[in-house]
Amino acid sequence: MVKNIIPTSLNEALELLNDRPFKIMAGGTDLMVQRRAWSQTPPEFIEDVLYIFNLEELKYIKEDKGFIVIGSTTPVEDLLHNDLTPFLLKEAIGIMASPALRHMATIAGNIGNASPAGDTLPILYVLDAIIVLESIEGIRELPINEVITGPRKHVIKQNEIIKEIKIPISVYTDSVFEKVGGRKADAISKLSFTGAVNIKDDKVLDFRIAFGAVSATILRRKEIEEKYVGLTKEELIGKVDEIVNEYDPFIRPIDDQRSNKEYRKTVALNLLKNFIITL
Amino acid sequence: MKDISTSILKIDNEEKANGSAIYVSDITIPGMYYAKTIRSTISKGNIKKITLPEMPENYTIVDYKDIPGKNVVKIIFEDQLIFAEDKVTYYGEPIFLIVGPDKIVITELEKQINIEYEEETPEFEYVNSAVHYNFKKGDAKSAFENADKIIEYEYITGYQEQLYIEPQGIVVDIDKNGKVTLTGSLQCPYYVKNAVLQALDAKDSEVRVIQAVVGGAFGGKEEFPSLTTTQLAVAAKKIGKPIKMIYEREEDMEVTTKRHPSKIYMEAAISKDSEILGFRSNVAIDAGANIGLSGVVLSRALIACTGVYTISNLEVKGDVFLTNTVPNGAYRGFGAPQMLFAVEMFMHHIAKEINVDPLELRLKYLAKQGDLTSTQGTFNDPIIMNEMVDKAMEISDYKQKKIDFAKEGVHKGIGMSWFLHGCGFTGSGESTHINALVKLRKDKENKVHILIAAVDMGQGIRTTMKKIVSKILDIPMDQTIYNLPDTDFVPDSGPTVASRTIMIVGGLVARAAKQLKEKWVDKEDITVSERYKQPEYIKWDEENFVGDAYPAYSWGVNIVEVEVCPVTFQVTLKHVWSVYDIGKAIDERIVMGQADGGIMQGIGYGYLEVMNCVDGKIAQKNVTDYIIPTSVDTPAMETVLMDNPYPLGPYGAKGAGELTLVGGAPAVALAIEEAIGNKVFNIPVTPEYIMELIKNGKN
Ligand SMILES: Cc1cc2nc3c(=O)[nH]c(=O)nc-3n(C[C@H](O)[C@H](O)[C@H](O)COP(=O)(O)OP(=O)(O)OC[C@H]3O[C@@H](n4cnc5c(N)ncnc54)[C@H](O)[C@@H]3O)c2cc1C
Repeated sequence: MVKNIIPTSLNEALELLNDRPFKIMAGGTDLMVQRRAWSQTPPEFIEDVLYIFNLEELKYIKEDKGFIVIGSTTPVEDLLHNDLTPFLLKEAIGIMASPALRHMATIAGNIGNASPAGDTLPILYVLDAIIVLESIEGIRELPINEVITGPRKHVIKQNEIIKEIKIPISVYTDSVFEKVGGRKADAISKLSFTGAVNIKDDKVLDFRIAFGAVSATILRRKEIEEKYVGLTKEELIGKVDEIVNEYDPFIRPIDDQRSNKEYRKTVALNLLKNFIITL
Repeated sequence: MKDISTSILKIDNEEKANGSAIYVSDITIPGMYYAKTIRSTISKGNIKKITLPEMPENYTIVDYKDIPGKNVVKIIFEDQLIFAEDKVTYYGEPIFLIVGPDKIVITELEKQINIEYEEETPEFEYVNSAVHYNFKKGDAKSAFENADKIIEYEYITGYQEQLYIEPQGIVVDIDKNGKVTLTGSLQCPYYVKNAVLQALDAKDSEVRVIQAVVGGAFGGKEEFPSLTTTQLAVAAKKIGKPIKMIYEREEDMEVTTKRHPSKIYMEAAISKDSEILGFRSNVAIDAGANIGLSGVVLSRALIACTGVYTISNLEVKGDVFLTNTVPNGAYRGFGAPQMLFAVEMFMHHIAKEINVDPLELRLKYLAKQGDLTSTQGTFNDPIIMNEMVDKAMEISDYKQKKIDFAKEGVHKGIGMSWFLHGCGFTGSGESTHINALVKLRKDKENKVHILIAAVDMGQGIRTTMKKIVSKILDIPMDQTIYNLPDTDFVPDSGPTVASRTIMIVGGLVARAAKQLKEKWVDKEDITVSERYKQPEYIKWDEENFVGDAYPAYSWGVNIVEVEVCPVTFQVTLKHVWSVYDIGKAIDERIVMGQADGGIMQGIGYGYLEVMNCVDGKIAQKNVTDYIIPTSVDTPAMETVLMDNPYPLGPYGAKGAGELTLVGGAPAVALAIEEAIGNKVFNIPVTPEYIMELIKNGKN
């Protein structure tokens, strides 16, 4: 018989996790769908469930030493209404799922689910977020791109929990998150585009691009971005075709029940192009 | 009471808002068992061997061998089996039920079932015609021989899923004498009763059907529940227990009937001076694995082959094709949405081809009172489409927008569809197949019971019927009683389909109320009845498609404004305007509810709702993947109703249920066509398709 445990503290949760395998559940908005069973019968969990959503000590958003730090059980709806939340993250959350879902869904769950279509992920990639993993043995801090290794694959260990997400504070003169879903609300992304630049005194100080749902994990190529730092805005715009060509080979989407490869690729590159030429 | 159209509160508002309405899944009967359907996992082949696990006590399977009567679901065309026997013809075809008291045990047993098949190559293309119809009007042959130019296009439409909020569900109970009572989410209590009688080979008094509160249907609960109810009735007969079967969402989306995909080939003969001499059309619809209602769907499509236009010379043909896919069936509009999409696009495409303003061309051929219909019947009643079109153009600022949107760099478009919908059954169906009977009974307390089999599935019939009766008898609403239909108490007033309920059943109810008024004696029990009589002037030759296909038509104009993003090809709806002639609204707000919901369902069909069958399996089988519009996608909507009373409808009312859907797809497709400057031939007009059109389309 599967046991459902509601720990009352993070420590208790860590002890339990160290003791035996559990499935961690935060908001459950992915898990309850994935483990659904015939109505009026229990969901199909094969392992015990550790329900952490009630851990108040992990519900926070704060500023700390140059980072915005988000506790892992904070529902995304709370982030939407907090002044500390980075603009791009708010953009992504604002068109994620539906209001009811947003009161349960967490960023940690979006990471744990590791879907290439997870909407907060490209933002975490673009903002160089650090994921803080805790276990009874201590704390590991890993950049987001080292946590997620493939569709539904990550390096979080059986005895670890995502404690918090640390986002370095940074400034952008222009930034966009464009979600391309099947409709205007409550839709899984067919693809997404995130772009952020910081241009000061007509000089590109920072240039960051990420794509969602066009490859096995979120697509971000720092080596491409770096080539364009130091240009003037005009120069950057002048190189738009070159930039599009640089990203082209990395955009390798799939055909599925929501869209097709050609569309995903064309629109991803259109959005990149449009972002640059309208700077 | 004021004018009948003045809105009142729907009588089921409160029970639905506070959660006290009893839907089928709310029903439990002591000792009730559950049933789960075991289905084919291949598209075509023979069942070689079925290996069952050891069945615990009280668990059993129910299959075709348990059917006392005929193993066929009684609908118009009898080719749907209740349970597959030795072969299967589509993925998801029911083979047997597992029935027992505990769902968890049933789930465990299900995992241990093994069915071995001998697979055959399934057919997914339009090659096996099972029904062919054709008819002519005038002399299409000479029209095409004398044509200066022939314009031809093919139009393709996809599946559409009803996506009622409440999935299919039935509960069966059985008493000690073996009488079965089926309570469920269904549109047609007597279709179910007749189907179950045949399956059980039972006497009329041994089967009772009761409607539970229905959480949406849209045609999806027209013929489909006749399958599930017969299965459960057979199970109850075998086991002697009450049994419940509620479909899960994915099961519902994978195996229940949908709108038929279609391919419609249109040809127009054009003279030297740009007259349309005639049309030829060839319609193919995909029935799935059995015919069911598809022949009737096809005939409604064929009859709509000229939309609202009068074209003198016609040659029309069509086929129902069998494929090894889930059977398709009734869905609001019933063949008309496919055809009206094709006709409206075609009229615009002809206009472009011959360099005429589409509006002028359409006005020139717009049907007038007295004109001959596509089947050589007569439009007997006044047609007020000219006023309706003017009104729609005025409230939408159509002409100015046409000019503004044509400018370079503007990615907006405005599209206008004109359409009609025949009210009631096609042809003489009302008199030959249905022969509706209604009763009103006044009890000793002077309460008037409305005894009809019409089902309220959200469209407000429980309110509007009471309104008609209370107004005619001049009694308060709460002195009338309209319980959920129960075949032990109500006569067969026909199915709740085909936009017939207010016009036909409501018309009979109004006549019965007038009769009761004359016979009214205080505190006496009086029952009156009325049976449908076909109006004398309506003549229909079913064999040759000649005559009046419908007793009356409702008419409409939809205008849709869109913006298409040039970067992502996504469509944003900006505004929708509609003008309808439904004769007379029995309750204005109820009709507005139909109008808002209907148009969004029609527009969704036109630009959003993608459903594909991939290797015989439905690819979008949940609400995450099957995209219908949300309130965020829904733009501001403005609807105008224009009175044009129909003499035989109650207070002049005609059908309103389907009309509001059928014009949505062409209106949105035309708007997108204008926004992108490329001709649209397929629906839904998805961003993926728009991208393709912009790359390789025709101007
Ligand atoms: C109707 C609907 C619409 C949706 N729309 C969107 C959308 O638009 N965009 C989008 O990105 N997603 C969407 N989702 C998916 C889902 O809401 C998100 O992925 C959400 O972020 C998951 O958060 P959760 O807390 O509910 O995760 P859960 O379901 O609780 O968990 C998901 C996974 O993460 C793991 N996990 C959770 N918390 C931790 C932790 N602290 N430490 C370690 N592992 C953890 C779990 O073990 C599990 O594997 C939608 C879901 C639904 C049902």
